[in-house]
Amino acid sequence: MKKTILMISLIFLISILSGCWSKRELNDLALVAALGIDLIDDEYAISVQVIDPSQISSKQTASRQAPVVTYHAKGKTVFEAIRKILALSPRKLYFAHVQLVVLGEDLAVDGIRDSIDFLARDQEIRNDFTIIVSQQATAKDILNVLTPIEKIPAKKMLNSLTVTQDAWGSTSEVDVEDLVTKLGVKNQYFVLSAIEIQGDKSLGIDQTNVERIETPVTLNFTGLAIFKEDKLIGYLDEYDSKSFNYLNDNIKSTIEIIACPSDGVLTTEITQSKTTTKGSIKNGSPTINVSIDIVQNVAEVKCDINLTELTTIDWINRQTELSIKKNIDESLHVLQQKYNADVLGFGEAIHRADPKEWKKIKEDWHTIYPNVEVNVKVNVNTQGSGTMQNSKLKE
Amino acid sequence: MSNAENDNLLENKTITSLSTSLLENIKTIQNSLGNSNDIIIREFLVGKPMEIPIAIIYTDGLADNTSINDFVLESIMSNFEVTSETTLQEIAIRLKAYCITVGSIKDIADFSSLLNAILSGETILLIDGLAIGISTSTKHFKDRAITEPVTEAVIRGPRESFTETLRTNTALIRRKIKSPNLWIKSRVIGEVTQTEIAVMYINGIANEKIVKEVLHRLDQIDIDGILESGYIEQLIQDSKFTLFPTIYNSERPDVIAGELLEGKIAILVDGTPFVLIVPALFTSFLQSAEDYYQSAFISSFIRLIRFIGISLALVAPSLYISLTTFHQEMLPTSLLISIYAQREGVPFPAFVEALIMEIAFEVLREAGLRMPRMIGSAISIVGTLIIGQAAVEAGIVSAAMVIIVALTAICSFLFPAYGLSNSIRILRFPLMGLAAMFGLFGIFVGIMLLIIHLCSLRSFGVPYMSPYAPLIPKDQKDALIVLPRGSLLTRPRLISQINNVRGRKNR
Repeated sequence: MKKTILMISLIFLISILSGCWSKRELNDLALVAALGIDLIDDEYAISVQVIDPSQISSKQTASRQAPVVTYHAKGKTVFEAIRKILALSPRKLYFAHVQLVVLGEDLAVDGIRDSIDFLARDQEIRNDFTIIVSQQATAKDILNVLTPIEKIPAKKMLNSLTVTQDAWGSTSEVDVEDLVTKLGVKNQYFVLSAIEIQGDKSLGIDQTNVERIETPVTLNFTGLAIFKEDKLIGYLDEYDSKSFNYLNDNIKSTIEIIACPSDGVLTTEITQSKTTTKGSIKNGSPTINVSIDIVQNVAEVKCDINLTELTTIDWINRQTELSIKKNIDESLHVLQQKYNADVLGFGEAIHRADPKEWKKIKEDWHTIYPNVEVNVKVNVNTQGSGTMQNSKLKE
Repeated sequence: MSNAENDNLLENKTITSLSTSLLENIKTIQNSLGNSNDIIIREFLVGKPMEIPIAIIYTDGLADNTSINDFVLESIMSNFEVTSETTLQEIAIRLKAYCITVGSIKDIADFSSLLNAILSGETILLIDGLAIGISTSTKHFKDRAITEPVTEAVIRGPRESFTETLRTNTALIRRKIKSPNLWIKSRVIGEVTQTEIAVMYINGIANEKIVKEVLHRLDQIDIDGILESGYIEQLIQDSKFTLFPTIYNSERPDVIAGELLEGKIAILVDGTPFVLIVPALFTSFLQSAEDYYQSAFISSFIRLIRFIGISLALVAPSLYISLTTFHQEMLPTSLLISIYAQREGVPFPAFVEALIMEIAFEVLREAGLRMPRMIGSAISIVGTLIIGQAAVEAGIVSAAMVIIVALTAICSFLFPAYGLSNSIRILRFPLMGLAAMFGLFGIFVGIMLLIIHLCSLRSFGVPYMSPYAPLIPKDQKDALIVLPRGSLLTRPRLISQINNVRGRKNR
């Protein structure tokens, strides 16, 4: 009997004494929503955007405090800087719910490889957050802008990014796993979405920024940033980014504008887009054939045409094809001539098509690439004209 | 109850035979019963012209006065003729043959049976000069009417439930199963209370071995009194160290009839409306009588809901504790932020918070059960206002915790059988402790131990978790889901192997 009691109390003690070792109450954590990394004087400057729980609770009365707080610290490594922030933060920083990492422009130009290592390695940070680049601003500036409606700026940026990608097609969501894969390959080009501040940077930090009907300082996704290996080499504007996404088979929905035969313009909504890229080498000269199949609806008509006639639909199809092809050709020129950046993986396409020939031209690819012939074939199919046929407003 | 069995049970007592003297017999009876004033002894003379002293003895309140007056006293006193030639034996025979107009009569020769008969409500007729008593069945006492079941309500189904009277209860079952194979074996248990127990089963469907085992275990019971079937349940269950009920009970005759048809055995105890059923399987505690009365699709859906309910009732608070103190990364960000905002300012760790609320709920529940009906509304006001609203507004507990407790509470009321709901309520607390110490890891260890324990349980030799473990594919038709009536052609395999097929055509 004594033995049994002893055993039971021992088992009880084992669980009591060894239990709870990794326990952390929610109240003891500071939830980090976004992380910014800048490079200032060869040191990493880390900014964290921490959620203030009392400000985002649904039952709060209107208060003047900001819903998030940012802390900044510098260090020789990313991890050192993060640990230094603990001295500023009232609670232990909790990184598992980081939704967004903003890389500063200076850091991007200098090379992002070393700073990504910590993000990919640390076990507390999940690997499903999105990485973006700040354009003409530091990551700190970006994280210091308050946003209305979506109170947590990190969430606002993420939402904008996803919605833009889904309905406009000028951005591209890249998470840390994709990035690590790309950073591991030699001579690899890739893109990250770029964000900029519109308005006076110093005003974004103030609560008044979210109190007005029109927000003075806003965060805006401008397009894509092109990286070579791990260094930023340039930006694509909104339209080039869209063309890039067409070529990269990354368009879910977007719009196209075509000129009418007489006066005015006609807007269509792209609802499906499927791109196939094939490479080939003939007589030592590589060629890329891109074929894009598009399904669209007529969305806005500002001209005098008869939509009930099949020929009109054919005409719309042909005009959209031409318009898209023209845009894509221009963007290809930017990618090939201006940046000499094989972001679209044309080299890979040729490698897949003809591995033997690829070996021969592999070393000279960066000189061949700007002049590679790219044949873009666009095939557009218009399905409907919305809830109206011919515009009644015109009659 | 037969004399032979009675004797059997009272073996240890000294059996003293009746004497031939009426006065002596009456004296012995009075002495044995301590001159209690509810024992009525009426002495009188019968027969013309010879007059013989006779006495009738009965317990006031247990015996029916009307039938004693009309069928015993009146017929003997008015119509009985005795001449000098008649022997005493002849008198006894003629009394039984012509005078006592009552259904069942018996001869009793010893005092212990005699006292037992008196205390069971029978009327004893003693004749001076004869060493036997004639016992006439005049049992009748005020019993409760057959009412609607209180604990097992159904929307569709019979509205009758068992009462406290054993005979009424056996009759209720016989009314449902009019088969000559519905057999009753009776026992009297309880040295002092002398409680009648009836074991009912369908001969030819129930497993003979289990019937024997049930009777054997009943015979082993050595106790002074049985006041409720819970006594029997605790005394005959397979494993004493388990929180799970291994014997099913019901107050619905239709449920008992259904179980008897599956080959199970019912144990009825005089004095309680709760009838025991063995062997009991875990899954029967999650089945309601109504499952078989309504469309199989609806029943299956409701059964799945019950399984979700049992899981939630068991783990909801511990999941909350482990997710908010160990695995914050597992919650979706927006949900975490919402809980995070609610927990702001709560002074206790999640475990203590959960413990406070769960105990508060258990207290409320027990109070609601025990208090007089008239002050019921007071409890609900205190419960909802103080525990629910004020505690959240004062920032002592978070709103999310109140939701969890409410969810657990509602889920624990989902079980058709009350017994299992109690086990789940208790087991919630150790799981909460494990969750507070080891997080999800602790919960899974706890659940694994629980499953191992459940699989090790047996009810009268039948694995408690069947038909899940061991998995019996054929019996899945009436487990997690229930198939339409036409598909339920066989009885559960492990309960009884004989006569496994329902219906004649299918054989």
